Amino acid sequence: MKRLNALALASLALVTLPFAAAHAQGDPALGRQLAYTCTGCHGIAGYKNAYPQYHVPRIAGQNYDYLLAALIAYQKGERTHPTMQAQAASFSETDLQNLAAFIASAGKVTP
Amino acid sequence: MTLRLIIALTLGSVAFGAHANGSIDAGKQKSQTCQACHGADGNGIGITMYPILAGQHADYLRKALGDYKSGARVNPIMAGFAGALSEQDIADLAAYFSSQQGPLVELNADPAK
Repeated sequence: MKRLNALALASLALVTLPFAAAHAQGDPALGRQLAYTCTGCHGIAGYKNAYPQYHVPRIAGQNYDYLLAALIAYQKGERTHPTMQAQAASFSETDLQNLAAFIASAGKVTP
Repeated sequence: MTLRLIIALTLGSVAFGAHANGSIDAGKQKSQTCQACHGADGNGIGITMYPILAGQHADYLRKALGDYKSGARVNPIMAGFAGALSEQDIADLAAYFSSQQGPLVELNADPAK
């Protein structure tokens, strides 16, 4: 029962995670080392998802907290996309934080 | 009479084209609600749990809004907004935000480049 309560608390915490003001910031240098696979789709201009067909999103320069929430949602299966779920599942939460930190830092400089 | 016909035909074809591609101007008109969280130009309001929309691919934005509307992508906030949008609204909003300038770019993990 105690364990169940702890699980319930943990899942509550995860549910509220996207609404938390700030999570632990990842390390962009470590994230860069993990990002090679991501560039196979997200690094190619004009690359399209198949069935249904649409451009894979531009993610470099996106907000850290949004990126991390998206990756965690894929990892937990709350957001569904076969490739993204498989990729996210292969990483630890620390890895995802580092990836999100790198991706967020990799945008173009705007005036 | 001829002038009226030309105007009618022009307006008709503009509306038809907008259905396929989305209209940036119409999207801007419809974006008031979005702006509260995503900013006037889709670059946000400093709350980093919301995504930047400026410069995102229009077809990806359409997919996201369509998935929120259908429930394929679950988000209580976005479900409420997207559920009220027509296909035309979605196309227009996607056209508007994708046309704005922002930091989003393709990912490059190679430090040499």
